[in-house]
This record gives sequence, C-alpha cells and structure tokens, in this order.
Amino acid sequence: MVRGAPILKRVGSLPDWALLLFAGLVYLFLYAPIFVLMFFSFNSARSTQVWEGFSLRWYAELFRDQSVLDAFYTSMVVGVTATAISTVIGTLAALALARHSFRGKTLADSTIYAATVMPEIVVGVSLLAFFVAVQFQLGITTIIIAHVAFCISFVTIVVRARLSGMDRSLEEAAMDLGADPPTTFMKITLPLILPGVMAGALLAFTLSFDDFVITFFVAGAGASTLPLKIYSMIKFGVSPVINALSTVLLVATLVCILGGSRFFSRKEE
Amino acid sequence: MRERQTQERPPEAARGAARPAAVELAGVTKRFEDFVAVDDLTLSIYEGEFFSLLGPSGCGKTTTLRMIAGFEDPTEGELRVAGRPMRGVPPYRRPVNTVFQSYALFPHLDVFENIAFGLRRAKVPKDEIRRRVSEACALVQLTGFERRKPARLSGGQQQRVALARALVNRPKVLLLDEPLGALDLKLRKEMQIELKNLQHELGITFVYVTHDQEEALTMSDRIAVMKDGKVQQLDTPANLYELPANRFVAGFIGQTNTFSGEVESVRGERVTLRTAGGLELEAFAPAGREVVKGSEAHVAVRPEKVRFGEAGDNAFAGEVRDVVYLGSSTQYVVELKGGERLVVYRQNAREAADSGAGDEVWVAWDAANCLVLGE
Ligand SMILES: Nc1ncnc2c1ncn2[C@@H]1O[C@H](COP(=O)(O)OP(=O)(O)O)[C@@H](O)[C@H]1O
Ligand SMILES: [Mg+2]
Repeated sequence: MVRGAPILKRVGSLPDWALLLFAGLVYLFLYAPIFVLMFFSFNSARSTQVWEGFSLRWYAELFRDQSVLDAFYTSMVVGVTATAISTVIGTLAALALARHSFRGKTLADSTIYAATVMPEIVVGVSLLAFFVAVQFQLGITTIIIAHVAFCISFVTIVVRARLSGMDRSLEEAAMDLGADPPTTFMKITLPLILPGVMAGALLAFTLSFDDFVITFFVAGAGASTLPLKIYSMIKFGVSPVINALSTVLLVATLVCILGGSRFFSRKEE
Repeated sequence: MRERQTQERPPEAARGAARPAAVELAGVTKRFEDFVAVDDLTLSIYEGEFFSLLGPSGCGKTTTLRMIAGFEDPTEGELRVAGRPMRGVPPYRRPVNTVFQSYALFPHLDVFENIAFGLRRAKVPKDEIRRRVSEACALVQLTGFERRKPARLSGGQQQRVALARALVNRPKVLLLDEPLGALDLKLRKEMQIELKNLQHELGITFVYVTHDQEEALTMSDRIAVMKDGKVQQLDTPANLYELPANRFVAGFIGQTNTFSGEVESVRGERVTLRTAGGLELEAFAPAGREVVKGSEAHVAVRPEKVRFGEAGDNAFAGEVRDVVYLGSSTQYVVELKGGERLVVYRQNAREAADSGAGDEVWVAWDAANCLVLGE
C-alpha cells in the first residue's frame, strides 16, 4: 500500500498524451478484433487477411445456406419464447420479493442473485444431467427451458430495481380511490414498471440469443442455434461467412442492448 | 387518564344532542410485533367535523389514519365508518378518501386523469366525469392545468391535485396526513385557510393529521392530542390551550411555565403549593382534578398571563435575564429569587415601559390562570 503510493503518483503525473495513448491501446485491444472481423465480412475475396474490395457476397451466401437460416429460426423461436416466459415469471418474482414478506424470502432473494454469477458450464452440465435423468428428449424444448431458467434472474433483478424506485403509496392511493388489486396492478403498477419489464425482456432476449455454453450442453443433436452454428462452422476453418454471421449476431445484440438501455433510462416527463 | 377526559369534556349530549358519528374507534389497538403504535384508542369523530390528530412524530397518528383508510387492520378493537363496522372491508370499499403526505400522484397520468381515477373506478358516466373533474379543478384553482403531468407542477399545485383527486369522489370522510408538511410557510398558511373554507363549504368530515400545534389550533373543531399511541386529551382548541389536562399537553400546545411543588392546602378549587425553591403559589384546580394535600403537584401558567407589577394572587420579585423582541410582543425571561425561570410575554404598546436585562422587576399572575395539571 505504502510502497504503491509513489507509483500511483508517477502515473498521476504522466503527461496527458501518454494517458490518451494508454486509453487508446486499451480500446484498441478490446475492439480491434471485432472491427477486423466485421471489416473482412465485407471483403470480396475469401481471405480474412487481405482486403480486395467491398462486397456483400458473404452475406448473400450466408442467407442462401439453409442450415444457417434454420439455426437463425431456432434462435428466434428460442429467444422469443424464453423471453416471454422468463419476463412473466421474472416480473412476478420481482413483485413478490418487493411487495410481500414470506418464509424463505431471504433465501429466494439470494438464490436469484447467485444464479446470475453461477458458472455457465456448471449450469449447462447440471441441466444436461437433469434432462437425462428425467429422460427428457433433448432439443428445442430443452433449450427453451434452460434459457428460461437463466433469464428469470436477470429479469427479476432489472424489474426489482424499477419497483424499488416506485413509491409504495401510489398503489395505496389507487386502492384508496376504489381500485381493487387487479385494477391497481393494470392501471398503476404495470404502467410504472413497464420500462423495467421491457428492459428485462430485451436483456433476456439478448442473453438467450447469444448463449453458447448452456445451449451447447442441452441442445442435443436435433437443434442448433446461431452461436452453435458458428461454432460448428469454425471447425472447418475460418471463412468470411462466419464473419458475416458474427456481424449479424453482433448487430442484433447491440440493437437489443441499446433499445433496452433507452427504455430503462426513460424518465417520466 | 381517560376518566379525567370524560369528566372535563362537556358530555356528548351537551354538544348538540344526537350528533351522528362519521368515524368511531372503540378500544382500537395496533401492534407491530411487540411495539404498540396505537394503544386502546376510543373516540368518536362527528359528521361534518374538522377533527385533528395532533402529536409529536412517532405517536401513532399516521397509523390511526391508515387504520381508518383500511391499509392497516387494528390488532384489537372496533372501527366504524358511518356506522358500519370496517373489519375486513378493504380500502377500495370504504367511504373514505385519503390525501397522502407524499401526495402519491400517479406520475404517468395527467392532472385530469389523476382526478378522474376514482370516478372511473366507480363507473361514473363519461360526461359526468368531465363535469365533476372540471368542477374539482375549479374548486382548487387548477383550471387550465388538466393536461399537465404531475412532475410539471409546483409543490402547491401537486398538493391541490391530491386534494381534488380525493374530494371529487365526495367521500363521507376525508383523511389528510400532514398534507401541508412539504409546503413553505407562506403557502402553508394560505392553504390552511383554503382547506378550512373548503371543509366548511363541502361539509365533509375531515380527519387531519399534523404535528404542528399551531396548524391544529387554527383549523380544527376538535383535537385529539396524542403521545405514545394514547390520547392525552380530546378537546376544542380553546380548552386545550386554557385547560390542558396534563404536563405533556400544556407543554405541547403553546408555550408555558410549569412549577412543581408540594400541596399545602386545598380549599375547593383553590390550591396552595410550595415549590422546592420556596415559592408559595396560589393555583386553580378544575373540577374533577384530584388534588391531595401533601402530595406533589404541577401547575402551569401561560407567558401572556403573567404581568409586570405586584398586583395578583401570585407576585414575586425577580431579575430580567433576557429580552427578545417578537414584533407584536416582547418575550422576557425573568429569574425569580428561588432560581426558577419564568417566561413572560408583553404586548408591545407604545406607552409600555421597557425593561432591560439585569433590571429588578416584580411579576404577578392570578390563581385562576395558574392551572393544576394532571399527571
Ligand atoms: N409498518 C410498521 N412496522 C413497524 N412499526 C411501524 C410501522 N408503521 C409504524 N410503525 C411505528 O409505529 C409508530 C407510530 O408511527 P406513525 O403512526 O407513523 O407515527 P406518526 O404518524 O404519529 O409520526 C412509530 O414508532 C413507527 O416506527
Ligand atoms: Mg405520520
């Protein structure tokens, strides 16, 4: 600690250009590979190292590949279904945790947070073991179940953050004015937490759409999502088609995340 | 305690025969786990009355109001609104409305929809909703603000929306929890007058919670002074001020000088007391206030009832310690020979001679203004 101080001081006294250089290098390290990948998805040649000219041929090829389209379709079905189910369950869980006290609440509370930091590989292996044990046919259904399982926690956490910022007396005021509990929920609670619910849903969709590790374990032979497809393609060598597919995945994810953060930070006018 | 209350308050029959009660509490107790927030409360609030619950923070005012509104269930006792027992009746089926301390305006709805919320739940026809909401807006001077969202209103305007939103439903009883607490002093004074006028015009029973004794005194028909979940005294503002039941009420309502001492003699209402400092005090015990010779008793005299001079049942020499000019009056702190300190108010009239700190003075007051307090 004490010895560290002079070093810190030295860093602190670095000239501005050096700090800028450091920051720039960090960003370069983080983003350069991704930009290179995206860049070469537009290359007209097969090479992923030498630029020859702009072209969309790899995207065209991508969308002609039936197995890629199948994987995309599977990802969408899984994403939408898992999002819908986990959003409903996660929102209800958030309401229960924020509004009621019940036995085992502390336990329920901490398990929800624990689930978000659980190593994916552990979740994947245990889910696989579970499905095998109950002799559940692996396929799109098991993927959906697995995705719902890990998305719920995230939805709950996001919705709960929104709920904790909401004045409890608003619901009391609604009831005071003659609204029964269902009406209070539909007219007051839901509209007020909706930004949180939407943000949670988009987060769930993004997580589901991107997930590789857990999906890898529970997909079985029949179903393949986009990340699984990319993995299987890369086994046959890097091709610009993979670059194009990765770019599509990246853009889709970014759109979801940006949309979600805009929703979540939206203020009441 | 309760015995004394019933004895000192004019009996119910005397104050307008069979005045129907809007809210009745009978032995209402509220416990949170082991903590008793409201302790065996029994009182009736009459129809059309401006009734206040007054007391320091944490004395159980809000809890009492929340039980009337239906957000909390009494642990024990019975609560009736308009004669109907309320046990098991949810808030949305009670003929009462609440103005919340935080206003609790719905942030996603505009002023119109906030005010219309209760009417929509009651399935009032659209035309009537429009008419009643604009009436309510006019009543609280919010016409023209119907399409504003609450966040774009000032504190005073939000307060009015909260009021209109409750009043538009024409409740039997309006519950108000420190509704003016968040407003600045000037606005608060204005709203006090407006609220009082409104209550008078509409004839709705108001149950008003406040910790501000001045506010309660100026607005209320009757006040229940609470401490630690118990009613200390339930009375009109004038009686609370002139005939406080105990030391707590005397100290909480207005400013007062209290002395403690041993009772030397009791002759009817007249009591003589000797303080530890050696003062011999002539005091007055209202009917029903038990005073036993030889026991310890407390007496109170209001600062404005003390005069400078030697004429009075109680007259003592002392020295002026402090002088504070208050505008319409001046406050003097006088230290008596025995070491007791006394606060004296004197109206500021031009001919009044000034006394400064250090002056030797005589102070005097009558036995009738020196009240023996209950415990
Ligand atoms: N839900 C609750 N759980 C536990 N204690 C409570 C609850 N509500 C109120 N209390 C306690 O009851 C006492 C009275 O509270 P309250 O009625 O809000 O007082 P006031 O409105 O007079 O300031 C306080 O000490 C408060 O801490
Ligand atoms: Mg309170």
